[in-house]
Amino acid sequence: MSCSPFDLRDYYFKDLAENERRLTEVHVKTCAHCREELERLRGTETALLALPDEEIPQRIGFVSDPVFQPSAFRRGWSALWDSAARLGFASAAMLSAALVVFSLTRPVPQAAAPAPAVSRTVAEADVSKRVNDAVAQAVTRAVAESESRQSRQTQELLAASDRRHALETQEMKVRFEEYIDVVNKHLNTLIVASNDAGGANGEAR
Amino acid sequence: MILRAVEDADLIRKARRGNVEAYNLLISRWERRVYNYLLRIVGNREDALDLSQDVFLKAYQNLRKLDDPARFAPWLYRIAHNEAYSLFRKRRPEGETEELHPETLEGAATLGGNAVFPVELTLAVSGALRKLTADQRETVILKIYQGFKFEEIAEIVAAPVSTVKSRLYTALDLLKTELAPVKARGVS
Repeated sequence: MSCSPFDLRDYYFKDLAENERRLTEVHVKTCAHCREELERLRGTETALLALPDEEIPQRIGFVSDPVFQPSAFRRGWSALWDSAARLGFASAAMLSAALVVFSLTRPVPQAAAPAPAVSRTVAEADVSKRVNDAVAQAVTRAVAESESRQSRQTQELLAASDRRHALETQEMKVRFEEYIDVVNKHLNTLIVASNDAGGANGEAR
Repeated sequence: MILRAVEDADLIRKARRGNVEAYNLLISRWERRVYNYLLRIVGNREDALDLSQDVFLKAYQNLRKLDDPARFAPWLYRIAHNEAYSLFRKRRPEGETEELHPETLEGAATLGGNAVFPVELTLAVSGALRKLTADQRETVILKIYQGFKFEEIAEIVAAPVSTVKSRLYTALDLLKTELAPVKARGVS
């Protein structure tokens, strides 16, 4: 039985706190029995260590085979978690992506609830038909207005032409009558002169 | 020792990323120790080699589960302990894991054919170890031959530190008695 203040085997295997180790050390220096006990422990350990380690008969090693390798996902995952910088970057990227998705998908306040998809499709077809009809009517009306405008313009041009023709005819008539008057006056003058010349010759004979 | 621990941690990080060469280097540092631990547990070279290969394969497959690379050694030995006891259960389904009867490792006294230690002493040590229970023998191996701390042994064998100490000290008392005659003849 040991008389040491603490277990000598704990002391031998260095499993005592510093103050306990010092107290035991002081005791062992003055206690032959405990020194003998420590010597027996040391002797037993030395005897056990006479059994040497053996060399391993075959070296162990693995080849770089895909069977033994973690998947690309696992390697990437491990690389991510092993690097604070990569992890931080990934976190920032995820936060940014979340913000973008939230901003794009956030519901916009609307006056009326959107119609169901099927009704919206029907309404779109109806609107399209109405637009086509309105366009057709507008085109027809525009064509009619254009034809009417052209017809009116033609009539006006014809009327103007008739009026101009009537004026020109009247002017020609007036000029002709004036010309006839002039010719008549010249003829009368010649007749008078001829008559005067005939009278004088008769007197001279 | 600190530098070695840092280097091991670096190799573990590389191996986790799929670097097989880094893991092979890690194996080369630990294979001899793990093999001898298993050899003294199971007492059979062929089984010890097979188990060592299984241990390093399982360690590689579960390397990501190792929280602290600085705790690699006890973690690795925990796998080795489980593999050894799994073999015991397989060989002895009735649960007689206490009596393993490992073969006598007479060859342990020689290295390269030359006698290194007196044969009588190594035989006596082998015989004395065989007389211990499996738990006691494993505790002696982990403390005396592998140099683990009590806390690390407790982690490896999944038992309280007090139990580990009890097993070791009881085993040492038995070994002291068994080996006393040999030491008395001045073999050591």
